[in-house]
Amino acid sequence: MAKEKLSDVEFGEELSAFEPDTTLATGAEFADLVGWIREDGAKNRFNSHEAAKKEGLPGAFIPGILSQGYLVSMIHQWAPPAEIKKVDTVFRSPVIADVKHSITGVVTDIDEDEGLVEIDLTVVNDKGETRIFGTASVRLPQ
Amino acid sequence: MLLDLHTHSIKSDDGRAKVENYCQWIKSKNLPIDGFVLTEHRQFDFESDYSPLAEKFGLVILKGAEVETEYGHVLVFGVTEGLYKEFDFADIKNPLEMVLEMSNKHGAQAVPCHPGRPKVGMFAHTENLGVPKGVEIVEIYNGGSRDNEDQIAIDNAEKLGYKGTGGSDSHIVSHIGRCATRFPHDIATIDDLVAALKAGDFEAVNFKHAD
Repeated sequence: MAKEKLSDVEFGEELSAFEPDTTLATGAEFADLVGWIREDGAKNRFNSHEAAKKEGLPGAFIPGILSQGYLVSMIHQWAPPAEIKKVDTVFRSPVIADVKHSITGVVTDIDEDEGLVEIDLTVVNDKGETRIFGTASVRLPQ
Repeated sequence: MLLDLHTHSIKSDDGRAKVENYCQWIKSKNLPIDGFVLTEHRQFDFESDYSPLAEKFGLVILKGAEVETEYGHVLVFGVTEGLYKEFDFADIKNPLEMVLEMSNKHGAQAVPCHPGRPKVGMFAHTENLGVPKGVEIVEIYNGGSRDNEDQIAIDNAEKLGYKGTGGSDSHIVSHIGRCATRFPHDIATIDDLVAALKAGDFEAVNFKHAD
């Protein structure tokens, strides 16, 4: 059930798991939108597995800011009125395109005076390995 | 007694967990660990006193450090002011053998961590640099390991006769307790912990797939 106010939230509760779209097509489209693909469409680490491998990478990346966008989307699915104050991420390993990933979130702090909730966020690949972790601080109506 | 020997709080540059939230998490999720050691990156936290939290939550909270060497990262348990003066904890290229020697000199125990990891793990460097002298213990279970990093650590530790510890390497609250180290006797202080490590009286435990 979507969270509408701070009193709906409990310490330790898990947000519904979220499966981000990590297809190469979506990652490449996003990279193009933010200007990371040249106008001539040259292949690079965001739109081509082959180009990424030539750079010594395991495959094309999903842009980090797209992954952050997925984190925000997940939080808003859980609590639509949440005002996101901060998303603080540590990128441990790349999110490789065309590999299934999932995002988990859990509530790890509730500041009732400030109306703030802290959420641990973890992006894992299909082997359960952490690629990105971080925390979000969100404000919910009292 | 089970202790998570490798955790980071907001005192580390990439740590996002408050110590009190670790305690709340352990208790609210009924994690099987009895406490943890804060091993902040490239520093030792002489100031913080976690004894009120330890008492409030009935947990053991100890402090260590994670320093960096040419062989990768190394946990140090039993840091004293004397040891802290022997080398620069903030330096990322401390010689491992010096860290081991100085730790022993000051009654501390150094433990190379995530040794199976590329770049920052000891076994990634032994082919080029040789097997360092003085290593007795390595971390064989690390909560942040990817691919076969733990297996590389286990296989090499067995080959070289090292004992193995476990720690979550948690940087956020919900990752604590993924790996730990079991001791047959109670550990209440850092001196107890160092003594148990030096006695080889422990075993690494992996809870990563118990979520």
